[in-house]
Amino acid sequence: MTTLVLTLVLSSYAPQQAGSALLDPPREARVQALGKQLRCPMCQGLSIADSSSSAARAQMDKVRELVAAGKSDQEIRDYFTSRYGEWALLEPPASGMNILVWILPLLLLVGGGLAIARTMRRPVPPAPPAAPEARPASEDPYLEAVRAELRR
Amino acid sequence: MSSTVGTVLVLGGLLAAAFGAVVGIEGGLRHRAGALKVVLATVTAFLVCMVGANLTMVYALVTHDFSVHYVSQVGSRATPLVYTVVSLWSALEGSILFWGAILAVYVFAFARAHRNDPPTNPLLALGTMLAVGVFFSFLIAGPANPFGRVTPVPPDGPGPNPLLQNHVLMVVHPPMLYLGYVGMVVPFGIAVAALLRGQLGDAWMSVLRRWTLIPWTFLSVGIVLGSWWAYAVLGWGGYWAWDPVENASFLPWLTSTAFLHSAMVQERRHTLKLWTVSLSLGSFLLTILGTFMTRSGVFNSVHSFTQSEIGPTFLVFLGAVLVVSIVLIAVRGPLLVPEGALGGVASRESAILLNNLLFAALTFTVLLGTVFPLVREAFSGVRISVGAPYFNRMAVPLGVAILFLMGVGPSLPWGTASKDAVRRQFLVPAAVGVAVVLASVLAGLRGGLTLLTFGLAGFAATVTLREMVLPVRVRMREQGEALPLAVWRTATRARRRFGGYVVHLAVVLVFVAIAASQSYVVHTTATLTTGQSFRLGPYAVQLAGLRNGVDPHRRWTAAEVDVTDGQGRHHLLAPRMNFYERSTDPIGSPAIRSAAFEDFYLTLLAFDAATPSASFNAWIFPMVSWIWWSLPLFVLGALFAAWPERRRARAGAAEPLSVPTKARSPGAAA
Amino acid sequence: MTRRGLWIGLALAALTAVLLFVLASGFGRDPHEVPFQLRGKPAPDFTLKRLDNGAPVKLADLKGKPVVLNFWASWCGPCKVEHPVIAWGARKFGQEAQFYGVVFEDTEENARAFAGAPDPSFPQLIDDRSRMAVDYGVTGVPETYFIDAAGILRDKVAAPVDPQTLAAKIASLKRPGPVSEVVR
Repeated sequence: MTTLVLTLVLSSYAPQQAGSALLDPPREARVQALGKQLRCPMCQGLSIADSSSSAARAQMDKVRELVAAGKSDQEIRDYFTSRYGEWALLEPPASGMNILVWILPLLLLVGGGLAIARTMRRPVPPAPPAAPEARPASEDPYLEAVRAELRR
Repeated sequence: MSSTVGTVLVLGGLLAAAFGAVVGIEGGLRHRAGALKVVLATVTAFLVCMVGANLTMVYALVTHDFSVHYVSQVGSRATPLVYTVVSLWSALEGSILFWGAILAVYVFAFARAHRNDPPTNPLLALGTMLAVGVFFSFLIAGPANPFGRVTPVPPDGPGPNPLLQNHVLMVVHPPMLYLGYVGMVVPFGIAVAALLRGQLGDAWMSVLRRWTLIPWTFLSVGIVLGSWWAYAVLGWGGYWAWDPVENASFLPWLTSTAFLHSAMVQERRHTLKLWTVSLSLGSFLLTILGTFMTRSGVFNSVHSFTQSEIGPTFLVFLGAVLVVSIVLIAVRGPLLVPEGALGGVASRESAILLNNLLFAALTFTVLLGTVFPLVREAFSGVRISVGAPYFNRMAVPLGVAILFLMGVGPSLPWGTASKDAVRRQFLVPAAVGVAVVLASVLAGLRGGLTLLTFGLAGFAATVTLREMVLPVRVRMREQGEALPLAVWRTATRARRRFGGYVVHLAVVLVFVAIAASQSYVVHTTATLTTGQSFRLGPYAVQLAGLRNGVDPHRRWTAAEVDVTDGQGRHHLLAPRMNFYERSTDPIGSPAIRSAAFEDFYLTLLAFDAATPSASFNAWIFPMVSWIWWSLPLFVLGALFAAWPERRRARAGAAEPLSVPTKARSPGAAA
Repeated sequence: MTRRGLWIGLALAALTAVLLFVLASGFGRDPHEVPFQLRGKPAPDFTLKRLDNGAPVKLADLKGKPVVLNFWASWCGPCKVEHPVIAWGARKFGQEAQFYGVVFEDTEENARAFAGAPDPSFPQLIDDRSRMAVDYGVTGVPETYFIDAAGILRDKVAAPVDPQTLAAKIASLKRPGPVSEVVR
């Protein structure tokens, strides 16, 4: 226990550099948008814009630098994928096998919709006569009205 | 000592469950009336053993008995008592043990409630549930054994993960989720019983519905509490990251919500039986899949427990349950013949059928997105990410469509309707929706999808309120009841309906809150020295100074700031950075100032004690607190819907809905 | 069992098999491991200042002899534990490879105050705004990169390195590596 306290006291803590100065609003908006697309390597699934970890902040600085240098969005994305692979992009690019993740839900919706439409078009058996159920004579009309409303 | 007692209890539970499962299934299939008593006894034995084992573990934790394997992993003399007790579920083996206890409690509750029913259905249902209990007891006794003995006995332990000692929610959020998750075993057992028998009558359907509503409620509470925890504690300003384990909890919630609606069609129109039962089976399957995802070490998640050996065992169990379910559906499913039929396109049951499809699509999409990185890696070795941008892009349109149905469905009558009646129903709510959109645009709000959400929310809310108010007005007019009495009587006479609409209102609230907090968020970053300030919207933030502190398991540095809001009021906030010895990066604690319609959210990014200066991230999240405030509405609605109807001695007494109509199954007790 | 039931059953069974296969294939793999794409590619060039005397160090100048780069930070506990190992490596393998430490997301004062002073066995470089670290695909600290004599980035260890691993990696640097590709 004492060693724990000693270690904590003696080790210096991270003053964690602040991020680089923000760019003008239109370019900073680009930085933030790109930041949301890139995955923070140290976190579990967060984007570098959302994460407060040191690696994420360093990468946001890099994005800012690249935007300020006039690189296009795709060039910036390529910069990161050339270091971390497709893994760095939080949204899988729609190419190759990745198409499946975009297409399959759509197919399910369309297919399901068609199946349902076919079910609807099947002839509906004649509805049972909507005769009022037998009611004891003592029931008041107000209950009847409430029941009628509630049966809807 | 605790090790021995615990191990004996777990083995006893395993034996009881195994015996009960065999007797239950066999007795149910052969209609042996006497078997029920035996099965009830094994259920009680299972309960005693599982709860006993859990209490033994808690005792070992509290008395710091480090000879017990699990205690040596998560126990520590320095941990406060509350978190020591809570560490029962903070690591893998303990959480499986906890799973077993909750399973036993649910099975026992079900057995008690149905001990006097005709025995066949309870026998089959209990047998199935106990079979699941066998698996979990086996896990606890074998691969995930927390009761192993440790020699030599260590003097102290590392304590639970410091992140899990951060907040009171650690005491509440996991139990709520477990109560939701594990509870899905009961409807699974009931659905399997129905399939084995090849029939699903009204009475048993209502049992299935009620025993889904209970875990559904807990699951909803658990999920919202989890989002609140992510928001209030983790400090990135978000409340839902589409993390694999978050998705794992969301998937069974989706299918069980769809089930609750499909069950209405089943009860009123006696159709969509196969849908309903499949959704019930699916909810449990997704629960097991979710438990696998959390514990197998295969998925990258904030929630993942450390890598363990129980993954393969779990996968085998998942496969077995999948096979059993598929065989049952394929072989016995066709026996669930619809006795009724759907009305026309413009009928409530068609809307619910469409709702089923949308929910199924959403479930499939979330599942696909979560599993897809594994698929790519398995088939081509390439590692990709499927993260929040993908899920948001897919889920938002589906969510908007569901919101639309939430307004359309209750407007449509059961069965075929006349076109004029339908048109009349939609007029006022549609007008309200359009008015909301116009008002928003006039107020300066923009964003197509967001405005559409607001409009649909207005539409759905109007429909829901109208459905709730109409019977009240009828009562007041016809019977001359005063407003409070009319409201009370309306609510208690048609509990499910009233409760359901209350929940709908809560959901509309959540939709609006999510849309507003995502679309209209403003954000800035700034670095301040003492006395300097920056502005965000109407708020001014001034740095007062830095302050350090030491807790038993962490050090922290807080930046004290003076925040002035739009009305000139001053608030003292202190966002922090916490330094735990286990992690290299510090973990921040945000400071939040909640107003009625927005949250001001501040995190500390970096600081320099020498200058002194501090860097901040600041956000304004409109409406986000309404997500948490919807929780009481959720619970209220669910309580109303789940509350058992009082048994009426005679049909046709003052209780209008006990008259046998297709709308309600009589004697829907328990 | 009806024909339709059979088809539905078979379709679901096929989906189940795929799902189980995919889930099972995940075993044994570490989900937290970050892909390292620069393996076999030329190491990105850099010019950094030394911490002790401020002299610039360029990667291009170091070509001809393998280079070991160790990223660390003063706020990183495990780095403290690893530091003596790298220092030992620098002394033992100093003839075969050039050892440099790079300070990550930290200030010069804190780097200098790192547990007394950084070991003088190998020079420390200061990386402003961690630009060079991001260029290398650093995901956290401590990390150690191994570059061969031709300037190709051969390997990386994303955890505190122990003496055996360090020796093995340096030995592998001497073996011929892939032909360098065109730098993007």
